[in-house]
Amino acid sequence: MTDQRKGDHAEPTTHFGYQDVPESQKAKKVAEVFHSVAAKYDLMNDVLSGGMHRLWKRFTIELSGVRSGNRVLDIAGGTGDLAAKFSRLVGPTGQVVLADINESMLKVGRDRLLDRGVSGNIEFVQADAEKLPFPDNHFDCVTIAFGLRNVTHKDAAIRSMLRVLKPGGRLLILEFSKPTNKLMSKAYDAYSFAFMPLAGKLITNDSESYRYLAESIRMHPDQETLKSMMVEAGFDRVTYHNMTSGIVAVHRGIKP
Amino acid sequence: MLLAGLLASVEHGLNRVLRLDSTALPRLAALEGKVIEIDCVQPALKLFVLPDEEGLMLAAHWESEVDCTLRAPAGRLAQLALAKDKTAVLHSPQVELHGDSAVLLDLFGILQDLELDWEHELQRWLGPVPTALIAGHLRLRARWTRQGLARFGENLSEYLAEESRTLVGKREAEAAFSELDALKVDIERLEARLRRLAHTLDTSDNA
Repeated sequence: MTDQRKGDHAEPTTHFGYQDVPESQKAKKVAEVFHSVAAKYDLMNDVLSGGMHRLWKRFTIELSGVRSGNRVLDIAGGTGDLAAKFSRLVGPTGQVVLADINESMLKVGRDRLLDRGVSGNIEFVQADAEKLPFPDNHFDCVTIAFGLRNVTHKDAAIRSMLRVLKPGGRLLILEFSKPTNKLMSKAYDAYSFAFMPLAGKLITNDSESYRYLAESIRMHPDQETLKSMMVEAGFDRVTYHNMTSGIVAVHRGIKP
Repeated sequence: MLLAGLLASVEHGLNRVLRLDSTALPRLAALEGKVIEIDCVQPALKLFVLPDEEGLMLAAHWESEVDCTLRAPAGRLAQLALAKDKTAVLHSPQVELHGDSAVLLDLFGILQDLELDWEHELQRWLGPVPTALIAGHLRLRARWTRQGLARFGENLSEYLAEESRTLVGKREAEAAFSELDALKVDIERLEARLRRLAHTLDTSDNA
């Protein structure tokens, strides 16, 4: 996304929901949101999406083409839904790296996966999507589910993902997007700005984080914009699939 | 999304059932990494099955290479699922099998050999005493039903064959079939002798 600059010498700003904040502040503010919701993140996902997030993630896995022995990076892996499935798919000869910039989310994800017996072929790394600490051409598949909209420099993050992918490897970006149906869009707006903060207040006692969630979704690039960002970064054969009338879209690009 | 939801539910239920058999999951682990495509041609529907040590993963799409593809109409697939002799169904003309068929046969073998420890599952929910009472009662009823059905089958066949004479008895039918076979062989021999005789007459006329 294009970030705005205020004056020649002022620090560049970026959006945090509907607010403009200095770039250096965004990561800190996003971190605060996720520290606040980490403990009840899964419950909130189920409540707010009516369980649909499981189907969106399922479809993403189907598109990944991951198989036994592959190396997979799940960025912004949160509580490890995708990483757990990938761990099954790659088997003992493969490797899954669950990366998240947020320590609280990573801790919740690690504990949850270890409690479920997911171990051996999985590593947990605290990492910034814009500066991934992995060698070039390292992974067969990189995924980022509901994480890209929180990244300050999305272009830099997509370029970083391209760098760590092997040639022929796939990037999958699962993210909220723009509804394709006007009626659905209106209903979705009403739902996001009325129900989501209320549910956040009732379940996590934090309505602001869920107001940020609704606002950040509106500020995130739409399907075509994100596609062109991936093409500009250097991805080939970029396609996207709308799910639930475009409320969520999964973009896929191949590293040439 | 509807299909994905349906598959997710089926997968969840199926894996719960597989966990009731102590040998199924270790056997499925041997098939880890394999992808089986089931392509139903009528109605058109594709299903991908990925076995591993935690059970089966079902998917409506799969992007990587598959190890085995089974293509057949829905009727044949249902027959395949229910048949004891699956190899016979697999050889029928409407069924196409591509790739490593051993993977598919192994999966069928595991599903066919399932012996579900449903008492263990019931015990988890109800506790040991009610489970023992219910299981004892169900086992008794099941034995009684099995014996009743077997006796009913015997009585019915005896009545139809011996008393009402609606059907021919098994031994009687076998004797009749054996006579028919002997008659068929006799006719074939006679036919051969007549052909030979006709041939002899033709050659003597020419001379």
